[in-house]
Amino acid sequence: MDSYLLADADSVVARARAGDEAALEALFRAFEVPVYNLARRICRTAEDAEDVLQETFFEVCRSIGRYREEGSLWGWVRTIAASKALMRLRRNRYRETDELQDEVTGQKREDNHLRMDLEAALERLSETARAVVWLHDVEGYTHEEIATMMGKTPSFSKSQLARAHVRLRQWLGEEVSS
Amino acid sequence: MTHLTLEALVALRERGTEPGDAVAREHVVLCSECREELERLHQRVARLKALPALRPARDQWPPVAARLHAERRRRRSRIAGLAGLAIAASVAMAIVISGPSRGVVTANRAIEQAMERSQALEGALSQYNPESRVLDGRTAGIAQGLEDRIARVDHELEMAELLERQSREQELLKLWRERVGLMDALVDVHVTRASDVGL
Repeated sequence: MDSYLLADADSVVARARAGDEAALEALFRAFEVPVYNLARRICRTAEDAEDVLQETFFEVCRSIGRYREEGSLWGWVRTIAASKALMRLRRNRYRETDELQDEVTGQKREDNHLRMDLEAALERLSETARAVVWLHDVEGYTHEEIATMMGKTPSFSKSQLARAHVRLRQWLGEEVSS
Repeated sequence: MTHLTLEALVALRERGTEPGDAVAREHVVLCSECREELERLHQRVARLKALPALRPARDQWPPVAARLHAERRRRRSRIAGLAGLAIAASVAMAIVISGPSRGVVTANRAIEQAMERSQALEGALSQYNPESRVLDGRTAGIAQGLEDRIARVDHELEMAELLERQSREQELLKLWRERVGLMDALVDVHVTRASDVGL
């Protein structure tokens, strides 16, 4: 993915390590969309996601000297972004429950039977459940990795994922009639 | 027939090392309903992955760059302070261990002078408060290039602190002189050019 997002990644990283601002901006331009997308899928508001994007790249620019090139550059940036997004969730501490966040979204439980599109259903999950779904199913993190980032157990991550899929199935109208 | 729970089906997508996974897999092979449910799960995940990428409404690089510039200024002050302590310690050590070697003392004195000049220029720039001024695009580009070069010199100064003592003084002197030259140019860009156009 590095070479797809950033041509000549090695040279850009070397220049970024030396403090070359054009190289740091090139890193930002290469990864800003996937980082923002990850942040926006996890955070409740666009403003929070923008803050996460800024914090992620401030950290990337400060720490690029410590990037050891053992994994992919995108993997390294993504882990910083995921940590920042989860930190933002912990800081905001909306009324987090394992259940619906109707009070926050202003939606009523009565519309449960309505078929939603996937975007709306994802948005309606609790922040923790949405984060687990996105990190596991889309970004490909394991339950162990998610548990470490969240400061929880792998079992917590597994149960959040399963319960989230029960909700999604229900809201997407995919219930099995039997 | 008892069907698998969605939790069991979600777990089946994993590597399948949990106790009971083999039984669950066998069940899926035999049970068309559970197989369909697993297929719906796979499709849902595929649809999640295919959701369009969301993009920020505004360019977020300028605030990141502004924070980086502020951080660099703080770092420059810190480096100047640490380098001053290091030089003082180095001079004291040279005197205690082997008496003041003329070459070391001369180099250290030259470094101190370069550092003092660099700090004076930092002070002049700070009083001018360049962040609050408006520069034309070309001048801003020149200032940015100089800032980048100063950042590189600061990085090399940090590295030079790790060198053996014999080569360290000469390297530090070279870098501090380079830094003074760049700071001079930066002050010139901000103060002199701006006053030329009446800003």
